[in-house]
Amino acid sequence: MHIPDGFLDLQTAAVAAVVAGLGIAVALRDVKRNLPPRRVPLIGLAAAFVFAAQMLNFPVAAGTSGHLIGAVLACVLVGPAAAVVVMTAVLVLQCLMFADGGVTALGANLLNMAVIAPAVGHVVYSTLKGSTGGLRRTLLAAGFAAWCATLVASLACAAQLAASGTVPWSLVLPAMGGVHMVIGLGEAVITMLVLAVVARARPELLRAGEPAAAAINSTTAFGLLAALGLVAFVAPFASSMPDGLEHVAEKLGFAASATAAHAAPLPDYAVMSLAGDSPLLSTVLAGGIGTLVAFAVAWFVARALTPAHA
Amino acid sequence: MLEVDRLNFSYSDGHVALRDVSFRLEAGERVALIGPNGAGKSTLLLHLNGLLPDRLPLMPAVTAGDVPLVEANVAEVRRRVGLLFQDPDDQLFCPTVWEDVAFGPQQLGQREPQLTQRVEDSLAKVGLAGFATRHPHHLSRGEKRRVCLAGLLACDASVLVLDEPTSDLDPRGRRELMGLLTRLPATQLIATHDLEFVVEICPRVIVLDRGRVVADGPARELLNDEALMLAHGLERPHILRHSHPH
Amino acid sequence: MLRDRLLSPYQHGSSPLHRWPARTKLGVALAIVLLVVLLPRNAYPAYGVIGVAIVAAALWSRVSRGQLLLRLALVEPFALGIATLALLRPGGTELFLSMVIKSTLCLACMVLLTATTRFTDLLQVLWRLHVPALLVTTLALMHRYLFVLFDEMERMQRARRSRTFVAGKASAWRSSAQVAALLFVRASERAERVYLAMCARGWRN
Repeated sequence: MHIPDGFLDLQTAAVAAVVAGLGIAVALRDVKRNLPPRRVPLIGLAAAFVFAAQMLNFPVAAGTSGHLIGAVLACVLVGPAAAVVVMTAVLVLQCLMFADGGVTALGANLLNMAVIAPAVGHVVYSTLKGSTGGLRRTLLAAGFAAWCATLVASLACAAQLAASGTVPWSLVLPAMGGVHMVIGLGEAVITMLVLAVVARARPELLRAGEPAAAAINSTTAFGLLAALGLVAFVAPFASSMPDGLEHVAEKLGFAASATAAHAAPLPDYAVMSLAGDSPLLSTVLAGGIGTLVAFAVAWFVARALTPAHA
Repeated sequence: MLEVDRLNFSYSDGHVALRDVSFRLEAGERVALIGPNGAGKSTLLLHLNGLLPDRLPLMPAVTAGDVPLVEANVAEVRRRVGLLFQDPDDQLFCPTVWEDVAFGPQQLGQREPQLTQRVEDSLAKVGLAGFATRHPHHLSRGEKRRVCLAGLLACDASVLVLDEPTSDLDPRGRRELMGLLTRLPATQLIATHDLEFVVEICPRVIVLDRGRVVADGPARELLNDEALMLAHGLERPHILRHSHPH
Repeated sequence: MLRDRLLSPYQHGSSPLHRWPARTKLGVALAIVLLVVLLPRNAYPAYGVIGVAIVAAALWSRVSRGQLLLRLALVEPFALGIATLALLRPGGTELFLSMVIKSTLCLACMVLLTATTRFTDLLQVLWRLHVPALLVTTLALMHRYLFVLFDEMERMQRARRSRTFVAGKASAWRSSAQVAALLFVRASERAERVYLAMCARGWRN
């Protein structure tokens, strides 16, 4: 999901950079305040770990492999604020050292993978896990959170690309969203597998992600920032949505015939998102079904990984 | 000078690691700490510069020179007592050799130009002049160990505590380290399994088993005592078995 | 070996470009990237000039061409996918071309930067630019232990391969997950020891 240089216009890149900077600043402040000095080297080592783990192969089909992103894994293992710092370091290294992700796009990439992904992951994880989660519940929460984080990050990425005029929203949303709903499943399963092994070897290592009382403010701050980041990009399109919904309501009876509209690429943004009412409806439906499928997958894998009661 | 007086330590799970450990090192002495695995050697070493226990007792069990190891003196004791960790990768955490050797002095408030002078002097003392810009990952095990030593010397440590310094060194690295240790004037306490090494450069030996000091005396005498060695998971070193008086 | 060469883009050398101070090189690289991004889509002459300048700098620096080209060739499928999507619009071909050219030019510029500048020098520049200390420390520690962790990972994978008699996707997933988990456990134990080593040398947070 690394955006190269030249794919985003400078306004979008700048806005993304500012929001990312805010998110990272919040995380840094949280770490400085709440992380015991003993665990400071752990952030550096965890960053090296995420970088290394991203190279592991998870074969999918005929030579292609899936790879871990690791934002939610980091959240669970070192806590959300530290996870933001970890992912920031990984992305900065990838950008500077390996030109993986453009320099002008660094702000956007940081926003998507180092701020939004851990934030969304943490919110979903801590909500689902609750305070009395056993291992099975923890795994389920982590897996589903990983899927959500991957998807939302990809949507933010899509929004940035669309806002730059690089690709039309009506194309990039289903493309990115669709692809990452599947990739997110891989991320969920890998995250759960790794956590299951860690839990068996060193259960105490999983406690870092536990939402402490002091961190609740950060969680809220994170959630808000993530939402802000999303809204900043999605808002231009959201304004046209109500019209789209009206169209949907109107044409529900003629849903079958309205398929041709989305095929023609239209340069006018305002029209684009409502260019198809069935595309809009099908997108929403696809999203809903995808979410249910992801939750079900996470649930089954969590059960498989914890044969005895957890 | 380093003095340990009735040091006791138990882990949080109740396991007793050190019982009533007492010994004294005079300035300039080179003493080996030997014993079977699990005897508590590494745990003991971590006590010598206050890394253990988590909260230092009011009555100090360790004294470095004339400085008792209490909360208020921790920084000074850590300066005087330099600990060389078993895995040099744990200790070489800075991006370059220069920065790593400079780390200690910087914490102590040293600034340029004395800082660079100190770093270069320390590297020269361990035979690594010119290594300043190297990346730790590209060094051999022996070179890494020597950089760690340079870092300790840069703080003017008067006592060097080494944890298994010759483990995983090739014969040349081992010989170089042995030569280096004999040249350094600091007091040295060396935890090791390398009994040949002990015979060659340590006049005195402390035997630790199950957290207790079971013997403390001249190296040749104790290492020649087959019954003592076997009783504590050790053995008579070959060099003594086959040596002929010259 | 290849992976080690891939992991450290820096190529040792003594060319004038190598000897430029890191902050200058970083500044110039960023300026070029910014310029390329700001150029209008069809500024082909300008693209050409910049491209030639980068090639000239690469030759001047005497870094291995093979290495540079290898890095350039590792284009992400993601970028290609998005660029292809951009084609599906009126005027898309021009957009597609400009995206490919711009990203390649910026990539080449950054690849040359990292081939002639040590990462630790870049970190120093970040430090002087008042990037938060915690972030710089994290970057430094990460860079320092990256190779250590990669070695550990390789040893673990080798050990696993020598005990794997039945190849299969499920066992590959389980094996990779176990390697990752063990890698984290070891990394956190090492972090603990690094903390002790830092304290032993007077570090106070």
